[in-house]
Amino acid sequence: MQKKILKFKLNGELMELLVSPSDTLVDVVRDKLGLTGTKKGCGKGECGACTVIMNGQSVNSCIVPAMQAMDAEVETIEGIGTSDKMHPLQETFIDYGAIQCGFCTPGMIMSAKALLDGNLSPSRLQIKETIAGNICRCTGYVKIEQAVLAAADKLKASKDK
Amino acid sequence: MLKDYILATSIEEALVCLKTYAGQARIIAGGTDAMLDLSAKKITTSCLLDITKVKELKKIESMDGQIVIGAAVTHSEVKNSDLIRTKAPLLAEASGSVGSLQIRNTATVVGNVVNAQPAADAAVALMALGAVVEITEDAGTSYVPIEEMYLGVGKSKVDSTKQMATSIRFPALLPGQGSAFVRLAQRGALALPMLNVAVVLSLCEDKVEWVRIVMAPVAPKPLRALEAEKYLQGAVINDELIAKAAKIAVSEATPRDSALRGSAEYRKEMLEVLVRRALQQALTTAR
Amino acid sequence: MKKDYTVVGKNIRKLDAIEKAMGAATFTTDIKLPGMLYGKVLRSPYPHARIVKIDTSKAEALPGVKAVATYLNTPRVKFNTSATSTFTIPPLQPVEDQYVFDSVVRYVGDEVAAVAATSKKVAEEALELIEVEYELLPTVFDPLAAMKEEAPSLHHCEAGKNVPGEKIHIEMGDIELGFAEADYVFEHTFKLPVQKQAQMETQAAVAQVSVDGKVTVWSTTQTPHPSRRILATIFGLPYSKVRVLNPPYIGGGFGVRIGLSAKAEPIALALAMLAKQPVKVVYDRKEDFIASDTRHSGYVTVKTGVKKDGTFTARKIMGILNSGAYCSWSAETPGVLGAMGLSIYYCPNQMYDGHSVYTNTTPAGAMRGFGNPQGMFAVDSQVDIIAEELGMDPMEIRRKNIMRPGLPWVLPYPCQSSGLEECMDLGAKAIVWDQRGKQNQDSDTIRRGIGMAIGTHVSNAWPFCGDYSNAYVTVQQDGSIQVASGVPDMGTGTITTLSQMAAEVMGIAFGQVGITFADTESTPFEIGSHASRTCYASGTAVVAAAQDARKQVFEYAANMLEVTPGELDIENGIIYSTLTQEKNISLGQVAMEAHLRGQQFIGVGRIIPQNAPPYLAHFAEVEVDTETGKVRVTKMVAAHDVGKAIHPLIVEGQLEGGLAMGIGYALSEEIKYDDRGRQLNNGFHKYMLPTAMDIPELEAIIVEAEDPTGPFGAKGVGETGLVATAAAIANAVYDAIGIRFFEIPLTEERVYRALKERK
Repeated sequence: MQKKILKFKLNGELMELLVSPSDTLVDVVRDKLGLTGTKKGCGKGECGACTVIMNGQSVNSCIVPAMQAMDAEVETIEGIGTSDKMHPLQETFIDYGAIQCGFCTPGMIMSAKALLDGNLSPSRLQIKETIAGNICRCTGYVKIEQAVLAAADKLKASKDK
Repeated sequence: MLKDYILATSIEEALVCLKTYAGQARIIAGGTDAMLDLSAKKITTSCLLDITKVKELKKIESMDGQIVIGAAVTHSEVKNSDLIRTKAPLLAEASGSVGSLQIRNTATVVGNVVNAQPAADAAVALMALGAVVEITEDAGTSYVPIEEMYLGVGKSKVDSTKQMATSIRFPALLPGQGSAFVRLAQRGALALPMLNVAVVLSLCEDKVEWVRIVMAPVAPKPLRALEAEKYLQGAVINDELIAKAAKIAVSEATPRDSALRGSAEYRKEMLEVLVRRALQQALTTAR
Repeated sequence: MKKDYTVVGKNIRKLDAIEKAMGAATFTTDIKLPGMLYGKVLRSPYPHARIVKIDTSKAEALPGVKAVATYLNTPRVKFNTSATSTFTIPPLQPVEDQYVFDSVVRYVGDEVAAVAATSKKVAEEALELIEVEYELLPTVFDPLAAMKEEAPSLHHCEAGKNVPGEKIHIEMGDIELGFAEADYVFEHTFKLPVQKQAQMETQAAVAQVSVDGKVTVWSTTQTPHPSRRILATIFGLPYSKVRVLNPPYIGGGFGVRIGLSAKAEPIALALAMLAKQPVKVVYDRKEDFIASDTRHSGYVTVKTGVKKDGTFTARKIMGILNSGAYCSWSAETPGVLGAMGLSIYYCPNQMYDGHSVYTNTTPAGAMRGFGNPQGMFAVDSQVDIIAEELGMDPMEIRRKNIMRPGLPWVLPYPCQSSGLEECMDLGAKAIVWDQRGKQNQDSDTIRRGIGMAIGTHVSNAWPFCGDYSNAYVTVQQDGSIQVASGVPDMGTGTITTLSQMAAEVMGIAFGQVGITFADTESTPFEIGSHASRTCYASGTAVVAAAQDARKQVFEYAANMLEVTPGELDIENGIIYSTLTQEKNISLGQVAMEAHLRGQQFIGVGRIIPQNAPPYLAHFAEVEVDTETGKVRVTKMVAAHDVGKAIHPLIVEGQLEGGLAMGIGYALSEEIKYDDRGRQLNNGFHKYMLPTAMDIPELEAIIVEAEDPTGPFGAKGVGETGLVATAAAIANAVYDAIGIRFFEIPLTEERVYRALKERK
């Protein structure tokens, strides 16, 4: 098997590494680069646990061919906030009780971030449509939706300042 | 065994590559199905030829009353396109009901047709729009009506190891034309349809100038309800006629028993409801 | 004396939440050890077969393969994957009916062999090189059929054909007399589907054997201590040489790994022993579906005698549950179904008979609710039928019959608290109960309805199996405290709640509490996270440990302050005399003083919990599309008596999550099998659990009828959210379209067929 060189930006940092043609993006992020925040729940694009943002859009990294990330900007949960300065979504997920087992959380937050990056006034339905591909078995989704709404408000308020 | 992955930068490059690999390379776009099929060993190929970086394939354009959607255009791009939302709203609706947002962000509309699944939402809408697929290969370019694209379940006229579906095109809806896409599924997202129906209807004054009714999955490919269409053509449409047309449409369909998504009997009866609802909705939007 | 709590009852930041929000939390699937191999499992394609020949030589020869395990080279020790096998109370005996690998496979997905290799790909490739010759055996898939004489026997059974464990019989009063006293007798049979936990992290384990033979297993288990006992028994090791721990997080559970994580732990360990390298086994989603416990499907019959005025005089329940191919929790689940189904209403004459039956399907085990949702779908559907026949409002017939503190019931512990009536009243108000039956015009295609149902549950596993907890609270030299409890936190907020209780008892700030959990090596025996028990039972142990430490501190401080221990109290870390406030000293000062003189305050909590009934009333509002049969839940209200909400936000989260799972159970979730015993719904795309698009407005109402046996009055919460959901929804559907369903899920096709039949 021929290894290919993949170059892309991961959380703002330029990456260059060898991948197999059959590798998916989640293989690269989790196994090769060790960023295990992104989870793998089904391996078939059916649960959203592996959601990352690629060029501004949420994707299931378990079915995106790794090579498709060539020259792309990829964001994962590790790249959107630090413990000193969390992303507002991370704060509101914590404060609104949107996190239980936490396995869906990284993907859920990345889906929500892709939405809020382009829309700070989403409707409840838009939020539901955004996270409909992210299965959560713990929360019943309501607190997650509330957390996304609250994060939108926070972001809006900080922007208006 | 997969040995290579090539990111094509132009259609020409892709065609050269197909030729070089002589049947051992395979075109993919979003790759959402291809990666799964590869790991499940449903398909084998030596090389994946990715066309998502080909700029000319990423456009949604309006040309002489035709809308052209490139092979690398995703469902999300179609759903959010103002052009599609105003000139082919049923397609926006159909693309918007595929899988989940993450899938829609990578899977392509043309891929939805080339995959040749009998109930692919966008393909059903495209058939109602009278879409034509542009197929490019070494020998030149040809145009194939979407209805002729299906050779069997999961089997497309386009051989992705030799040819490339480069775009799909259809006439933009005009004033007096209405459309609808309706769907019955077991949940609000991440669900294949138990049934889907697309209708495009053209009114001339009060009469039906023409209508296309497409139903799925009720046959190995999305199925035109030709008899029902004929029945409505030229008629002054009303609820009674719509109800009759829906019954005729059902008589043309042969849905199968699905252990996962409903019995044949249920699907038949629901088909009548869906066709009726789609026609009513299309009529409302046409007026 | 009751004072305001400073930590308990407050929505403190969950201790696990920051790590999880940042993507920094470690789960079993994230573990990577030096030299770690990847294990993959070969599973049976047949529902029942004997392995005539198995040849692993080609697989072993594949470069990268380090071990291949089959029944020929793994321990021939029978066990039960569920934790019940470790605390079944004598004279009952645990049912131990499976091996790590056996020469007979009993369901599609049963383990045949496993490979450890340097990569997942190599391991998968090696599986294809294992040659197996099967002799097919007769199969049976339905529990009623499996009880018949001509059915194949899956295991040796004492209690009856294919019956694992004992048949359950529960009795109170005189059932025949009760029916004789009744003006009317109602009898209905209900059919329940297979539901799947579908927790987000699949079953997983990493096993490591040190050079001196000490075993460490990181896994997704909900019960590290019982799991250690199972593993030590299988592999013939002293318990003290086996360490089982969570890493520390688990991607959900809902009962699917009370005990082993399916067989991830013993398979990983068997491979690690053979390969002499660490091995990681992670089930893929399909394996998790087909080869990991489900909820029990089955049949429930309810027979009720009732007076004209609506008073229940007799109730008999019968339950036949599908155990699947192995026992797991199948000996206990029928008991909970019966006991809970009988205990929600007071009725002087009651009887229950129930048991499970082996079939050639995926084993059924524990799932949130543990038999209770099955029973309550039947019981509370029937109560609505009775109410209508008698011309009573569903609320009124329930009000007349609900269990109340002090009344007798079949359970061996008393009912000492109930907020059920308040739950019913608050829920009825929130859903606007008065609208019921008044929302539809005859011509409406979309018809609306409102329904309700009630339920209770347990706060730990006793008397259905053994239950006890231990905990340590150690005062550090600076006055902060370290709690040690063996219980996991699978997302339910356990570590936060336990820390809150410890802080409250010790009179210190929440931030001064550290907690060690879910590790057999650093914590005393503790059963683990199941049976809605962690807050109640593990909490009681932590409170006892904290009280013990507090007592030691007060005795020491009393000497220092020259007062009596009895007059001391502590707030914000300051110990003071309640008689003379100027006599005070900080906990840190006392701890340091003690330390310098060679003493640490070590509190030990050793408790056997009582039990206490949480109560709930669920209200559903639905819309039914009468042309398609599609049911949409438009609102759910769940009013729950939780005793005391130690952390209200966590409690709400448990209730909302339970409701969502209950909505799925009612409307769309079901695993079906084809005629060759293969699961049809073996992935998220085929198994219709709810997405965000399917969940309506959920309103969780907390009622606090404190129970004297619970820590701070708390009762169990974790499972209650779905006990009555399906019954409430089915009752709402009846209100909408006037059709009673005796089987769930209420799929569009099932509802449509019923509508059509009525025409």
